[in-house]
This record gives sequence, C-alpha cells and structure tokens, in this order.
Amino acid sequence: MIPPSHHRPVEAFPPSPRNGVGWRRLWRAGILSSLLCVRLSALTMDELMNDPKMTPQRFAGLFADFKFVLQPFDVQDPKVFLKTQSGDCIDYAVLADHVLGAKGYETRLIRVEMVGSNIGHAVCYVTESKAYLDYNNRVYFVKLQKCGATIREIAGKVAASFDANWTFAMEFTYNYKEDKKHPVYIVVKTDPPAKDPDLARPPRAAKPSG
Amino acid sequence: MKDKTIRRVLFFFLLISAVLVAVAVRAVVNINRSMASSDWVNHTHSVILELEGLRADLVFGDGALHTFVLTGDARDQAAIRAALNSVSDHVDIAKALTRGEPAQNAEVAELETLVDKQGAFMRDVLAAKQGGNADALRALLAADAGRAAIQEINQKIKKLKDEEMALLTERDTASYLQAQTTRWTVWSGVVLDVLLLGGVAWLIRDDIAARQKAAIALQAANEQLEQRVKERTAELVAANAKLSSENLERRWANQAMEHQLRYNNLIINSITDLVFVITKPLNISRINPAVSRQTGFDLSEIVDLPLKKVVRLTATGGDAMFDPVARALNDGRDLQDQPALLVDKRDRTIPVRFNLFPLRDRDKIVGGVVILQLSPTPRA
Repeated sequence: MIPPSHHRPVEAFPPSPRNGVGWRRLWRAGILSSLLCVRLSALTMDELMNDPKMTPQRFAGLFADFKFVLQPFDVQDPKVFLKTQSGDCIDYAVLADHVLGAKGYETRLIRVEMVGSNIGHAVCYVTESKAYLDYNNRVYFVKLQKCGATIREIAGKVAASFDANWTFAMEFTYNYKEDKKHPVYIVVKTDPPAKDPDLARPPRAAKPSG
Repeated sequence: MKDKTIRRVLFFFLLISAVLVAVAVRAVVNINRSMASSDWVNHTHSVILELEGLRADLVFGDGALHTFVLTGDARDQAAIRAALNSVSDHVDIAKALTRGEPAQNAEVAELETLVDKQGAFMRDVLAAKQGGNADALRALLAADAGRAAIQEINQKIKKLKDEEMALLTERDTASYLQAQTTRWTVWSGVVLDVLLLGGVAWLIRDDIAARQKAAIALQAANEQLEQRVKERTAELVAANAKLSSENLERRWANQAMEHQLRYNNLIINSITDLVFVITKPLNISRINPAVSRQTGFDLSEIVDLPLKKVVRLTATGGDAMFDPVARALNDGRDLQDQPALLVDKRDRTIPVRFNLFPLRDRDKIVGGVVILQLSPTPRA
C-alpha cells in the first residue's frame, strides 16, 4: 500500500467569514467565476474523457477547488474523487494518467518516497509537456512543474518541493479496473545515477488517441 | 618601505583569500560527502521500513485470511488482496533498495521465495473457501499449523533488519565522522585566517610604527637643518657686516691714497727740479712739468727716449765705455749731486746736478728716479 501523501499546507489562512482576507478571496472568486463562466458544479468522468480540448494544462486547471483529504484506500474511485472534490495526490495523479493517457499523451506515474515513514508523494509526468502534474500545485497559477524526464530528476524536484530528501522513486502503472499498481522502474538515490534502470527505457511507442 | 609593506599585505590577503576558497571548496566537498553519508543512513532506514511494512502487511493479510475463513466476509477478502499487493510492493522495493548490497539482496531474494510461497498458500486458502471445499481448506490450514512459514519469514526479516541496523551504525558513524571533518576543516580555516589576519595587523602596526619613527627622525633632521640655516645666516650677516665695514675702510684708505697721490703729483709738478722716471734699460717713462718747461719737449716727445739723449753726466771717471747711471742702477745705489748736462730740444746744454734713486718693487730694482737740480746761475 502506498503510504498516504504528506502535504504541506498550501494556504496558511483558508477563506473564512471571520477572516477579511477570506471574504475578499471569496468575493473575487465569485466575480471571476461569473466572468469566466467557470462551472461550479462537480466534474464527471464523461466530461473529462470527452473533452476534445483536454490538455495537461487544462486538466490541471480543473482541480483548483479540490480539497486534500487523505483516503483510507490506496486509490479512490475516480467518480467519488470528482464528486466529493476531495482526495490525495495519488487520486489526482492516477486520474491524470487515465484521462491524458486516453488522449494520446505519454504519461508516467511516479511515486517518490522521502525520508521517514509515510512521506510518499505521487505525480503524473507528461512527456510532451516535459512537466509533471502535482496535486499540491492545483491552486497555483503555474500548475505544471517543468522537469527532466528521468525518475531521478523528477524525484529530486518533488523532494525539493517538500524540502526533504528522497530515498527511492518508483515508476508504476495502474488501471482502475484491476486496482493494482505494477512497478516498472525503481530508482534508488544511493545507486550510481548511471545505473538507474529507467535510463534503459525503450523508445516511446505511438499511442492511439481518443 | 611603503611598496614592500603593500606587497606583503597584498600577499597576506591573497593567502587569506586562498585559505577561504580552499576551506569553502573543502567544506562543500565534505558537505556533499556528508549528504551522501546521510543518504545512505536514510537508505538503510528505508530498507528497515520496507521490511517492517512487509512483515506488518503479511501478518495483517494472514489475520484477514483466518477471519475470512471464519466469516467469509468480502471486506476481509478485499483486505487480503490489498495486503498481498502491498507485500508484493514491499518485496519489489526491498529488492531494488538492496541492489547495491549483494549479501542483503540475496537474502531478500530468499525472502521473496518464502513470501511467494506464503502468497500461494493464501490464494489456495481463498480459492478453497470460495469453492466451498471444506476438506481442502481444512488440510491447508492444518498444514499451516503453528504458522511455520510466517515464523520463517519473520526470522528472515529479523536477520535482515539486524544486518541493516549494523549497516546503519556503520553509515551513521561515517556520517558523523564526515560532519566532524567538516567542522575541523571550517574551524582550521577560521583559525588559520585569524592568524593570517593577525599577521597582517602586526605588519600594518609595524609599518605604522616605522613610519612614525621615520617622521620623528625627519622632524628632528628638519629642526637641525633649520638651526644650521639660522646659524649660517647669522654668520653670513656677520660676515656681510664685516665686509661692509672693510669696504668702507678700504674706500676711505683708497680715498686717502688718492688724495696723497694727488698731493704728491701736485708737489712733484710744482717743484722746479726736473724729475725723470726711468725704466731699468734707462728709457724715460715719465717726467714732471718742469722738464717740459726746461727742455721744450712735450710729454709725448720725450717718453721712451733714452735718458742719454737728454741728460749726460759730465764726470764719467775716464771710462767712456762704462755708464755710471746703469751701474748704479744695477747695484741699487744712489748717485747724488753729480755734475751733468741737460740737453734741450734745440740741443742747448744746461748744467745741472744729477741725482739718481733706484726704484724697488720688493727686492727687485725696476727702474729709477732722476732728479736734476739746476745749477745756480752765476750772479752778475
């Protein structure tokens, strides 16, 4: 079982009626939502899968209002994740992998394990964007984190975002139907970088889009 | 002195900079090594965590299996499946983590075999339960009495953990020593730099002291020079005053001499005796006005004429070849009151009394003075 994600607080002062800053944020969010015609109802899997304009950037922009809630199960059912608008890093990463992979993007699920117990984090790397989608970045303006393609580079960047050291990182595959993670490559930090198993990755095979 | 000091100070500062750079480079290298050591410590912790996770999931799965056998609850079945998946993950990760440690990696491989065996057993139990095959289920569980497989896995995990703990101690010691080296490097560099800075301070202080000493010496030399200038000026003023006084005296003396000379000339010119100044070869060089009056010669006509042309001694002592005037002059003797004849411009002769006085410049005779006295005219 992948340990639940450890998240740093993304907002030190969440919106609150008692907090002037919170009221202002809510007011701005309302005005902007009206102006930009942003839908406030819950997303559905169909909408995500059938969006012809779906890109990694667009996908990342749909989760700004989602809350971080540590789930007891390894990967949440995507419909529950979208409906409740709450989940953790692996729910988001697996959903991104599922949706963007179906759109023809080459996506990779990466789990980065940091020092200590239960400090793991999962992201979805998109080769075409040379960036990864991180649930922690959903509220920031720049939601895609540019990064090199090797697991070591991704692990280094993810760990740096936590101000932590990483010990190992694993690329894995997952599908909702089977509900099982399959390790593809495991990179250990103390191993010589030249011997990282993902460096021997075979050339990319063309994926059918749609 | 100045240039030398600047060179020395620059040299010291270069040395200090070199030490700082060396310490910084060394510290960064040590920090990198320290981080590498720390990574190994973290790595060891990670292996231990994976082994612990493996054991926990295995025990949890085993418990869920026995519960499922009793209850047949689907949730327990899902828990078994999740536990088996998780166990598989832990084994894969443990294998990857021990890639660089062949002994541990071999043990993890053995552990994997045991875990696979246990997994197969659990799947068999699940299948027997789901298939309603009570005899097979009973037989399987009976074979697992005492949970020997789990015990063996636990033993293996414990052994691996102990080895990892030993590695942890070793790596932690390396990390500590690395940190200690970094501390020593930094402190040594700081101490060396402080010493070098002290050296620079001493050098500057020494230079300032030398400059102060030189300034004092220069001031003393200036004062001495000033004193000497004052003394010399005073001497010059005194000498000038003395010279002025001497000049005044000399001028007075010259004026007195000029007066005397003028009076002498007046006396000579006023007397009636005829005065000739002659050179040593007996030529006339000067005369007084009485000569011109008596002879009719102008000064220009008579100067340079031989004395013989104008004056002749009448008594020569019978030796015509011998000139008594030349002889007396050579001997430095006076000739006084000698009878002589004066020959004027018209060749007339006048009897006179001849007197010769040699002229001396120090001990050398340079000429003479001839004074002719007119003989008294016989009274009628």
